[in-house]
Amino acid sequence: MKGRHLAAVAIALVAVSTLLFSGLGGKHLRAMRGASSIPAKVEAASLPAPGAAARPAARPAASSSLPSVPVSLTLPQAQASGLADIDPRRAFGSKSAPITMEVFSDFQCPACKQLYKTTNQLLLDNYVNTNKVYLVHRDFPLPMHAYSKIAARYVRAASQLGKSEQAEKALFDNQEKWEQTGDVDGILAGALSSADMSKIRAVAKGTSLDAVIEKDVTAGKGYNVNQTPTTVIHYKGQTYPVVGVVNYDVLHAFLDQLLAQK
Amino acid sequence: MMQSSPFNFQRAVVWIGRVVIGVIFVYAGYAKLTYPNHNLWPWFMLKFSVLANLSTFAFQVESYRVLGAAGSSWVAHTLPLAEIVLGLLLLLGWKLRIWATIASAILLGFLAVVTRAYLLHMDINCGCFGTPEPLTGMTVLRDSALALLALMMTVFAHQQARKPHAWAAPAATPGT
Repeated sequence: MKGRHLAAVAIALVAVSTLLFSGLGGKHLRAMRGASSIPAKVEAASLPAPGAAARPAARPAASSSLPSVPVSLTLPQAQASGLADIDPRRAFGSKSAPITMEVFSDFQCPACKQLYKTTNQLLLDNYVNTNKVYLVHRDFPLPMHAYSKIAARYVRAASQLGKSEQAEKALFDNQEKWEQTGDVDGILAGALSSADMSKIRAVAKGTSLDAVIEKDVTAGKGYNVNQTPTTVIHYKGQTYPVVGVVNYDVLHAFLDQLLAQK
Repeated sequence: MMQSSPFNFQRAVVWIGRVVIGVIFVYAGYAKLTYPNHNLWPWFMLKFSVLANLSTFAFQVESYRVLGAAGSSWVAHTLPLAEIVLGLLLLLGWKLRIWATIASAILLGFLAVVTRAYLLHMDINCGCFGTPEPLTGMTVLRDSALALLALMMTVFAHQQARKPHAWAAPAATPGT
């Protein structure tokens, strides 16, 4: 009898484990499948409609560090056309640099902060300032983040005054503070002058910048981006997308390999 | 007439533990290496994809705030391959007691850091299978179930090793 009870416990244990994993496994398999081909309708539904993100959505639990869904790495050839919409105030380096990198980023995403503070700073010093890379910032506010579109608006407005770098730095440096309260304005007010802030507020409070942000989102959708950060590297007509926080050493080796190609 | 081996609970748990934990370990290691970037060709793209995935995983490890940047990077570059090898060894069943003990230690370690993060209300990704998966009470429950299964497998594997196998010839009685 004792053996039968123990057997029942073991079977129950296995059953619980199987149930717990079946949910996760299904999620992962869907994600892996999605990574190779994302139906256009699903993708469109997961992204904000133009102007819709002006209303901060309820912040889902445990979501701020979550990239939403995976990204397709299979790119259509027509992607290069997206480069036409580059805002020069949100780009760094020389347009004639051999490599162009588009960084699709969300100000409320911790992984984007990590990429900005580690890899991209070194990239600016060693590749952008030496005219090897043209670095383009693309706004890609995810619908799961309540305040990322507002943050994108403020940075866009700051860029019109040539203050985008300061605004971007202030927001990433203080991400933990404003992502709880949505006080983007207060954080930027601490980093910029009051004269600049009043101009920025006037532009950012409206929805006039939404169309510009939406252009970046559309460019990202063209690459099937739906996770941040995603970096799309262009070199000699080839496009190499990479998702996640890429370590500088890894990126450095890859870029040098590209530049060494004849 | 052939006789089947009588049902043995301990051997059944060891067998189930080997299969369940072995498959999960192999899958977890593979997922960490191949997600979110999975370019397979050319070779330099494959290498770039895997290294980019590992650096993203290092960021997830670091977000637990248990290890520093160097420690997280070391874990991220070691763990996926270790999981695959350990999973395969469990499935093979060779030197089971050693690998079962190591797997139990690793799963207890996972359970400890996941429980700590959950209790501290850390808003982070689990990082368990490469995919974006928020760390919730379900994660803690799942890791607890796995750690329990691994512990039972390990203890029973050690106990079984001391007993003669059911199909083994009976020991010769002195004087016969």
